[in-house]
Amino acid sequence: MAEIKRIKIGAASCGLAAGAGEVVTAFRALDLSYPVVETGCIGHCYAEPIVEVELTDGSSIFYSHVKGDEKNVNDILALGEENRFTVSAERQKLEKLMVTRLAGRIDPKDMEEYKANGGFSSLAKAFEMGSEAVIENMKKSGLRGRGGAGFSTGMKWGFLAAKKDTEKIMICNADEGDPGAFMDRSLMESVPFQVLEGMLIGAFATGASRLFIYCRAEYPLAIKHLKIAIDKICEAKLNLFPGRDKALEIVIKEGAGAFVCGEETAMIASLEGRRGQPRFRPPFPTDRGWNSFPTSINNVETFANVPVVLADVDAFTALGTPGNTGTKIFALAGDLKYPGLVEVPMGVTLADIVYTIGGAEKGAVKAVQTGGPSGGCIPAEEFGARVDYDSLKALGAIVGSGGLIIIGNDRCMVETARYFLDFTHRESCGKCTFCRVGTMRMYETMERIVAGKGVPEDIDFLEDLGQKIRKGSLCALGQTAPNPVLSTLRYFRHEYEAHVVDKYCPAKVCPALSDVAVEETKCIKCNLCRKGCPVGAISSDIKVDNSKCTRCNSCIEICPKKAISRVKKGTGFDSSK
Amino acid sequence: MAEIKFKIDGKEVIARDGETIRSAAIKANIDIPALCTNGIVSKTTSCFVCVVKDVKTGRFLPSCSACPSEGQEVESDTAEVRDMRRTALGLLLSEHTGDCEAPCMVACPAHARVEEYVRLGRQGNFEEALKVIKEQIPLPMSIGRVCPRFCEKDCRKNVTGKAVSINDFKRLAADLYYDKYMEELPALNGKTIAVVGAGPAGLSAAYYLRLKGYAVTIFEQNSEPGGFLRYGIPQFRLPKEILKREIAHFLKMGIVIKCNQKAGKDFTVDSLKSMFDGVIVAVGCWTPSSMRIEGEELALQGIKYLEDIAAKNWENLENPGRTVVVGGGNTAMDCARTALRCGGKVTIVYRRTEKEMPAEKLEVEEAREEGVDFLFLTAPLRLREENGKKFLACQKMELGAPDASGRRSPVPVEGSDFEIEADTVIAAIGQKTKAPEGVEADKRGNVAVSKDLSCGNMIYAAGDCVTGPATVVEAVAAGHKAADSLMAALEGRKEEEKFFFNVSRGHWRSLSREDLVLLRGDKVSDEERVAPEYISMEERRTSFKELFPTIPAEKIMKEGERCIECSCTGKGDCKLKKYSEQYKVAPDMFSGEKSICTVDTRHPVIVHDHKKCIRCGICVKTCSEVINKHILSAMKRGFSTVVQTAFDEGLPSYCADCGACVKECPTGALDWKIKK
Amino acid sequence: MDKSFSYLEELGSSRNELIKALQMIQNREGYVSDDGIRAAAEHFSLSAADVEGVLTFYAQFKRNKPGKYEINICDGTACHIKGAPLIQEWISAELGIKDGETTSDGVFSLCVVACLGCCSLAPVMAVNGKVYGQLDRKKLIKILNEYRKKEA
Repeated sequence: MAEIKRIKIGAASCGLAAGAGEVVTAFRALDLSYPVVETGCIGHCYAEPIVEVELTDGSSIFYSHVKGDEKNVNDILALGEENRFTVSAERQKLEKLMVTRLAGRIDPKDMEEYKANGGFSSLAKAFEMGSEAVIENMKKSGLRGRGGAGFSTGMKWGFLAAKKDTEKIMICNADEGDPGAFMDRSLMESVPFQVLEGMLIGAFATGASRLFIYCRAEYPLAIKHLKIAIDKICEAKLNLFPGRDKALEIVIKEGAGAFVCGEETAMIASLEGRRGQPRFRPPFPTDRGWNSFPTSINNVETFANVPVVLADVDAFTALGTPGNTGTKIFALAGDLKYPGLVEVPMGVTLADIVYTIGGAEKGAVKAVQTGGPSGGCIPAEEFGARVDYDSLKALGAIVGSGGLIIIGNDRCMVETARYFLDFTHRESCGKCTFCRVGTMRMYETMERIVAGKGVPEDIDFLEDLGQKIRKGSLCALGQTAPNPVLSTLRYFRHEYEAHVVDKYCPAKVCPALSDVAVEETKCIKCNLCRKGCPVGAISSDIKVDNSKCTRCNSCIEICPKKAISRVKKGTGFDSSK
Repeated sequence: MAEIKFKIDGKEVIARDGETIRSAAIKANIDIPALCTNGIVSKTTSCFVCVVKDVKTGRFLPSCSACPSEGQEVESDTAEVRDMRRTALGLLLSEHTGDCEAPCMVACPAHARVEEYVRLGRQGNFEEALKVIKEQIPLPMSIGRVCPRFCEKDCRKNVTGKAVSINDFKRLAADLYYDKYMEELPALNGKTIAVVGAGPAGLSAAYYLRLKGYAVTIFEQNSEPGGFLRYGIPQFRLPKEILKREIAHFLKMGIVIKCNQKAGKDFTVDSLKSMFDGVIVAVGCWTPSSMRIEGEELALQGIKYLEDIAAKNWENLENPGRTVVVGGGNTAMDCARTALRCGGKVTIVYRRTEKEMPAEKLEVEEAREEGVDFLFLTAPLRLREENGKKFLACQKMELGAPDASGRRSPVPVEGSDFEIEADTVIAAIGQKTKAPEGVEADKRGNVAVSKDLSCGNMIYAAGDCVTGPATVVEAVAAGHKAADSLMAALEGRKEEEKFFFNVSRGHWRSLSREDLVLLRGDKVSDEERVAPEYISMEERRTSFKELFPTIPAEKIMKEGERCIECSCTGKGDCKLKKYSEQYKVAPDMFSGEKSICTVDTRHPVIVHDHKKCIRCGICVKTCSEVINKHILSAMKRGFSTVVQTAFDEGLPSYCADCGACVKECPTGALDWKIKK
Repeated sequence: MDKSFSYLEELGSSRNELIKALQMIQNREGYVSDDGIRAAAEHFSLSAADVEGVLTFYAQFKRNKPGKYEINICDGTACHIKGAPLIQEWISAELGIKDGETTSDGVFSLCVVACLGCCSLAPVMAVNGKVYGQLDRKKLIKILNEYRKKEA
């Protein structure tokens, strides 16, 4: 019988937030004869903390929802059956772990382990084939930037490589600002060496001599792992390329909280110590970038793809659809059973991702928001659509960085769009008129609508102004800021109409347009709701007084019988009437 | 250097290599508006007022930054592009607050440049002040006495006290220099105009026509010119000697006034049209309205009463005895006060309450002081005469629901009838126009005109005969407009409807002391408004002597110190205003919150009005790139972005010697405090 | 230069390091004071206005002293639809402070932040960087009480 070789505990941010720290402490306290290591994230965040027990025969047993208590730990060490974690066959069939193959499976801080799993072989291959061949291979692979715009990585590198007699810069965009997207964080935390290998290959191919990683300050663990990895790479002199007399400089720059800095010219300004305001292109950064040096900016996931691409270009192009080659990592969040990360070939359908992988209940989902706050919203009827850059664009949405927020039937689309706009209008850099003032005017209108003060003209106003903001903004933030409103108007116009015409929120979410009521037949008078109500709006005979109620939902969450719910405004009890 | 050929609206334009679309356009005399570029500092690409559309891609490009490519075609003057520019301007205006023009100027029907003439008055330069006044007010002596002072009602000084006594600046400036000042008159251009009626509208039209070289003849039916000024307004409000002096100037200008010329008898509009190049009808509004009660014929008609007395030059007048005046307008007040001065004991009867009275508050007050009694909520029912005495049967009223005009209509109180015994009853409840033959009348009987006051066939009309009874200053404004329209028509110019663009901080009622921007700082006096020195009450009750003498210069200069000077320092060269006018964008195209910011008046000579800032960034770049000082920076971001000094400490004093930012600011956000 | 900021010397004098410098100041002081801005300006030979302009652009920088425990409520998409606004309301009710404020005893400060990247555990908040996920009212009060106990 196989013996335990190693205990691996998923200790990326998601695992740690779920309590992986305590689990690590518990295992380490036992002073075991085999190593207990902290790994990264395997993508199944819903099952965290996850413990992988590696056996001497090369197989592994996974445990989910692990607690740090004695019973649980002993159970695992005895290879018990309880809490064993498996991935459904349907999901496995859809998944294609290329970029995330090692994520969560190796110690992110251990360069030797990365090497032992094929790490840096692509870099060696790059040195062998030479820079021009690397760029040719990148072009041939069809790899498109995974940050959102989907521009050909090979072409971008080609532009930079063509610049002669100047210092050149390469920037890794790790300013993952889209709420709902966390694949970049996960990659940096789980496989920092892989991200850096991609960057080294890029620097070698383009002739860049300085690398920046512009990372969100909100990702301390990612920064920590990257720093460790950089130190080891420099120690091993992997940053001194054949034929160069000076080692490559690799610097991590922490962002300071500005979504717009994900835009390349804004990021450059930020790296120059300025306000992160985008500027007009051309000149493009590959002509005039950081401190006027030619600069190429690529996203974390893109760089993580590079070693995979170079390892076997044909295998890469065999995946996905023409024009959309390879895999894409999606971050699933919202109203579904299995939130987390998933890597699938480009071109799988939304239904595959939402239902088969995400475990969302068919019929309980009304839409999915793709591409973050400035992406678009796609209704469930369109879930047959293939997920690639071009198909989603045709539906008025974008792949963006790959965030997928699943929106359940009980969400209000108007409120959801208002929320996204709240985010984007606050993240506007404040330079261009349309974005600075226009998004504010749209936001005010959305606020009015959810507050029940909308008028039918507001809908046309939003559509007209939204289109103009799209057309009259300098950078992607402004150009896409109206998207949530425009795409929900496209597919869920009836919800807007209900709000402005009937003063009714169909999902009964908007506080100004809904009441809270107790269904008497279900109520068992347990009084839990009354005790839990922060404002004392529930009477001793268990009636919610809507004149006092703040719509905080506490009672709805507390009720063991699900007897309390939101109802149409005016239908609940109100002592003031 | 390489040249790039491209097209703007189909017109071929050549750009040097590296030149932007806008800069190439300007050289080709194609005007593209822009606010965030000044040709000196580096591109910001922020205002997006300069957008053009690329025909091939359908994308909008900021032409201040985008360089053309060979063969590119862009659109700059299509409805779509104009709509984008209008939206950009509208959005900028929605975060921009200030006062382009002072509220007094906006309120004045003639839009007289109040702030300027008050400033000149404050400086003691009444001669210049008169010139400024006469740009819009050719009858400053009369209007300086009888104007209901629209300007003062909207004066911001009302926030902290009483309005600046604006009209008295006009009166003084005119009294001092009216006879002396003669406009520069151009030679006659050969065109002749006939004006019917020598009242304020007709005189005003004649004045502006003559200033442009037209020969004007006024036809007046009465024996003396002046119209309502001569025959409607009583001597104690406007002495006829003053009016004579005022009209004498018109004669000096070469305007011919033919009196005793009655329309329909001595001439017709058509006959004038056959002799003159154009005609302006300004016959006023002289037909009394009916009380619609039994025995109405026993009452005198208010307007006729005033006219008769004026014809007698307010001399050797009969005592009307116990007099009842029916009505609540200015004519009713004038009748009452005239009757009182003739020895009568006067009571005014009005259907509603004092609050609803259309008469000027000041006149009501003066009438009351002089001893006129008021019976409010009283409506006449019938009038009868018995033994030489008149009996006016009345009914008490109470106020009901508001009517279409928003005024609460009076409703009779059942069984409240009573009779008032009187020697004289004067009905002063309004007047109607009698349109002369040759022009059409509208439903209400007024002369029917188009928007530009035209009746067709080079005949124009202005004043009370178009609007019904109104004020002298409104008549003067209308006469000016009719003259402008007529001249444009005669000169074959297409006079576009003037787009009056004005941004306002709001009515004084919605403002508090903190909202007032005092560019003159503590030099703005907080003293009491100057009070006129009325003649004695005895004289007021028994004579037609003018109510008070013109307030002397020292006092008026001091009064001028009270003026806040509300208008924008930058109104003369504000690009936002210029383009908004050009693109006809109303300041309230978009409504919504303004960002929270202040007006910084701390610097001795420069005002930094953040509320006017459109965040174009030119000042920041001018200071850093041109002056190399880096005093200003954009702070915060998004809608909250504000251009400020470090720690909001304000501009350093040495900025007074530079002012580069002031010079480059496209609005009045950074400006010299002193207005010229 | 103000001696208390001499650690800035370890950075080069290039403006590229400005944000880094401000981060160093904030890491040490918990916020960036006027003196901090002046010191950074002097170090990089920039005007204070320029530095303040950069600083106020970025949401990370605080100009006021934060509380001992900084509560960051994630208002990213996933957290928002899972009830982040309610979490905020509950905390505000519990501690009597709004977004951007510090309790009068200086113990807690509250800040609503963009996505913390733990969307699968929504709704989440972080207290001095420690992330708490799947919050509900009960859990939240418990966490706050634990910190209160530490202070008592």
